Amino acid sequence: MTLDQWAQALLHPGADQGDLLWRLRLPRALSAWTVGALLSLSGCLMQVLLRNPLADPYILGVSGGAAFASLLGMTAGVASAFTPLLALSGSLVSILLVFGLARGEGPWSTTRLLLTGVVTASGWAALISLVLSLGNDSSLRGMLFWLMGDLGYATTPSWALLVLALVFLICLGLARSLNVLAMGETTARLLGEPTQRLLWLIYLLASVLTASAVSIAGNIGFVGLIVPHLTRLLLGSDHRMLLPAATLFGGIFLVISDTLARTVMAPEQLPVGVITALLGVPLFLLLLNRAKLKL
Amino acid sequence: MNPLAMNHSAMNRLACRGLDLSIGGVSIVREFNFTLEPGSFWGLLGANGSGKTTLLKCLAGLRAPDVGQVVLDGISIDELPRRVLARHIGMLQQHTAYVFDSSVLQTALTGRHPHLGYWQREGREDIGKAIAALNAADLSGLTERSVTGLSGGEARRVAFATLLVQEPRIMLLDEPTNHLDLRHQVWIMGMIRALSVQAEGAAIAALHDVNLAARYCSHVLMLFGNGEWTAGTIGELLNETSLERLYGCAVRKLESPDGPCFYPLTH
Repeated sequence: MTLDQWAQALLHPGADQGDLLWRLRLPRALSAWTVGALLSLSGCLMQVLLRNPLADPYILGVSGGAAFASLLGMTAGVASAFTPLLALSGSLVSILLVFGLARGEGPWSTTRLLLTGVVTASGWAALISLVLSLGNDSSLRGMLFWLMGDLGYATTPSWALLVLALVFLICLGLARSLNVLAMGETTARLLGEPTQRLLWLIYLLASVLTASAVSIAGNIGFVGLIVPHLTRLLLGSDHRMLLPAATLFGGIFLVISDTLARTVMAPEQLPVGVITALLGVPLFLLLLNRAKLKL
Repeated sequence: MNPLAMNHSAMNRLACRGLDLSIGGVSIVREFNFTLEPGSFWGLLGANGSGKTTLLKCLAGLRAPDVGQVVLDGISIDELPRRVLARHIGMLQQHTAYVFDSSVLQTALTGRHPHLGYWQREGREDIGKAIAALNAADLSGLTERSVTGLSGGEARRVAFATLLVQEPRIMLLDEPTNHLDLRHQVWIMGMIRALSVQAEGAAIAALHDVNLAARYCSHVLMLFGNGEWTAGTIGELLNETSLERLYGCAVRKLESPDGPCFYPLTH
């Protein structure tokens, strides 16, 4: 399409191309942006929470619960319109489970949270394999697509945008606290941060972001790992800069990946998670190599 | 006594009242009564594992004692919000490990955290304070470097500069001379002494170098590792007998033009 045709389509939603643009392409692009932004922001938070620049949004098992619930729905033949709802409830169950188990009696412990989260995630992985091996062949393709991350079901993500906006604003207010927390929990306390409250808040915010993303598009890997990392390399670790930039870039990265997923083998559509991984893996190894040289 | 004067005497100080503190079932101090008077610089001495760090953490409110309380200006510190506490008490931890890339200047600026409001950004004055502290710490050429790439001694000085930027009147320091070369050892001890003799200042530093304590501190607190402790001025406590009891090895004293020096005897 020429630029002129684009303009025509934008201005005339009623016409054929306008219809395509307004009802298919734009909602899908908006979904892709939202999911990318959710994952990237969640990644930033998880990395501070676990004080590890390599933590990703799925590390604590939020996506496992979502995957299990939605795959169970697909096997049971529940209409695909309900998939996001199932995924959301699955991940909320997982969030609360990890929260409850890791919190225990004692004070905050990163190791405890990480272990609880990672073990819960492997529990979900086992259940997912179980569902996959029991599922019938016809639903298997849909399930695999979902597991790899797929925006095919996505509609205009108005509620997810609202979640993103709300959590983003809260995080922006916490940005300086996140800077302090990135230096370690004890350091943060000595600098006046009541860390117990803050850490649980960050866990919940990050999990809600991931849960929202997962319920729209399944497990899209690497966005939440690569984009915050890349943004750190480009703009430094000040969260007042990092959070808005990583949110924006995460969205853009996924819009580009999704466009590739739709067009590379058109008319065949690929799951977008395959593209993010194919772009993400080499990019990440490159960055890691550069970081090693710098150290 | 004039009640106002009495009230004043309770101000500006960090004190322990009837403190019992232990770690893993081993007692560190029993019935510990201690006041960090304004203008004093205490050396905290004790063998490895005698509980110096744990005691400092307790004074910073990071760890609750078994019995008794730590009070700041007459108020128990667990009743004070961390933000308020951080404006009065600062601590240099024993280890400084930076995980995330952040510039030296950015890191020093985190010292302003307890002084800034929720949405507030560091202003020109804050940046000025950070730059002054970095200059004082010999780091003026490194302000834009990433903290993850610093040497041990440089990272240590960044952490100390951050403490200076925080401007606490009470400083708790866990082995401040760790990783520092000779010049920077005397520099950091001199800085701490200068800050602690100021009107409201006071400091306590865990040290392994008895001679630095002898040279810079006004008082020493000794932990014997079994709950026993003793506190007093340098003149009262720094002698061969007490050091031999403290470290379990023979110690001799040499007089030098700059004051006494202690050295261990070889077996």
